Amino acid sequence: MSPHTPPKTDDSSRVSRRGFLLTAGVATGALAVGAVGVTAAVNNGTTGPAVAPGATEVVPFYGVHQAGIDTPPQSSGTFLGWTLKPGTDRETVRRMMRLLTDDAARLTQGEAALPDNDPYLATNPARLTATFGFGPGFFQKLGLSAEAPAGFAELPAFSIDKLQPEYSGGDLLIQLGSDDPLTLSHAVRQLTRTARSFATVAWSQSGFTRDQGTAPAGQTGRNLFGQVDGTVNPRRADEFAAQVWATGSPSWFDGGTSMVLRRIEMNLDTWDKLDEGAKELSVGRKLSNGAPLTGENEFDAPDLAAKDASGLHVIPTFAHMRRAKTDNPHEKFLRRPLNYDDGIHADGRTNAGLLFAAYMANIKTQYVPVQQRLSDLDLLNTWTTPIGSAVFALPPGCQAGGYIGEGLLA
Amino acid sequence: MNTSTSVTKRGLSLVAVAIAALALVGCAPAVTAPVTPTASDVWIKAVPELMDGMAMTGVFMTLENPTDEDIELVGATNTTEGLTEKPLETHEVVKNAAGEMVMQETEGGIVIPAQGSVTLKPGGYHVMYWDLLKPIPVGSTVTLTLEFSNGTTLDVEAVAREIANANETYDPEADAEGSTEMNH
Repeated sequence: MSPHTPPKTDDSSRVSRRGFLLTAGVATGALAVGAVGVTAAVNNGTTGPAVAPGATEVVPFYGVHQAGIDTPPQSSGTFLGWTLKPGTDRETVRRMMRLLTDDAARLTQGEAALPDNDPYLATNPARLTATFGFGPGFFQKLGLSAEAPAGFAELPAFSIDKLQPEYSGGDLLIQLGSDDPLTLSHAVRQLTRTARSFATVAWSQSGFTRDQGTAPAGQTGRNLFGQVDGTVNPRRADEFAAQVWATGSPSWFDGGTSMVLRRIEMNLDTWDKLDEGAKELSVGRKLSNGAPLTGENEFDAPDLAAKDASGLHVIPTFAHMRRAKTDNPHEKFLRRPLNYDDGIHADGRTNAGLLFAAYMANIKTQYVPVQQRLSDLDLLNTWTTPIGSAVFALPPGCQAGGYIGEGLLA
Repeated sequence: MNTSTSVTKRGLSLVAVAIAALALVGCAPAVTAPVTPTASDVWIKAVPELMDGMAMTGVFMTLENPTDEDIELVGATNTTEGLTEKPLETHEVVKNAAGEMVMQETEGGIVIPAQGSVTLKPGGYHVMYWDLLKPIPVGSTVTLTLEFSNGTTLDVEAVAREIANANETYDPEADAEGSTEMNH
């Protein structure tokens, strides 16, 4: 007998990840918005109003890739970093990953975990996803360093970093997202109950973005500086294959991806001293719709050579967009950030920023060069400070009866 | 999980008698072999370490009965090597005279209603393990054989799970065979 009951939702209410990719590529080109309603309309063959994402909407758990990476961002998310308990061996970790996989497979389909003392909180998955990753310490402690993915290592120290240990590192990542914050909290609790038999929590970071039902159609999500953030993301399946999914290095990691999680404190109080024109120059994009300062619409290609009447670059040399932009196809990756707002510090400063989550096949060749350029020069560094940093290898997905990480641990 | 069924010798002999009767009479009503209930979501409360040499725990699951007759879970036998030498018992949790929720041995077994199911869960029915001889780590598995009132048995595998509850008090007043107050 399969340990998992089949999902109860009908197919018409599902957004398949493949469906999302096709839809986003054709219709909106936007990662963060509109995909659910647009997919529903396509599936039904109607042109009626978009259907708001439902409480019972389910993202499939099993598959070639883990869910929660090419899934359109949910409105709420939590990242949990864990430290394996001393003496943990491979057999123990196998048990842990089997149980975590079982919890995730049930909860994401709207079923209670086994056991679950609050089963009635599991019934509205609202696109709940649970994604797992292994940090450098995981490979080291289990004697598996030779199996670590190509280019996978802690980031080099950047001059802009002011990293705090309470937001950095970790052997195991559990990443959860849902459009329902109550569902998310319940899932965090259930997975935490399972994980803490094997590991101690290193940090917990929660964030949010606009709900898919309320986000403006056709536009990428905004961060707390008001900037449209994530315009250059991969959207088509071939872009994901080229930038995000690993192949052949090593083979157990085929279909997996590496993740960089940076906690970036944003000083909203000094940012508030700028007027709109200065804010736009710092990034090189318009605040109104995210268009490059040389264009009209968000997805217009920027003209980095363009100069104004006084001979200055329209997109300044220090602008974030110019520094991050690359024509090197090997320096592209998926950004899936969440905002955080943890209230106000005792001294009155806002405690807010960005949980910058980036996914790529190879951290060393795709991510580090971009981060190095931004560390060397980016006017946005004036108002932002990286205070947390962690890297994880996210194994490929699994099929029913299997578990996440089996290719490495079996 | 392993849900392979085994028909007991008694069950087989009943079938054999029925077939013999059919052969003799030629037109007797059809008699089918007893049906084994199915078990799903079988788990056991983990015991990461033995406390004070008095370790016990409970097994929980959902049992389904596809037949038109009630079937009772009447007993269970541990098949995990070296885990315990004490026989397993089926227990229920009831309110005692003092109004406290306590557990006691189930009289006559746990009923799985016809065309229905029963869920063994913390605060209710469970299969009780006594005097554990070794810990049951989280994520490990324990095997046992369930015994039903219609003579059928079912081998099941229970995955060990961490949970904070399932600590019912064992009440010697509520169960004539009980002798001590314990947690499990």
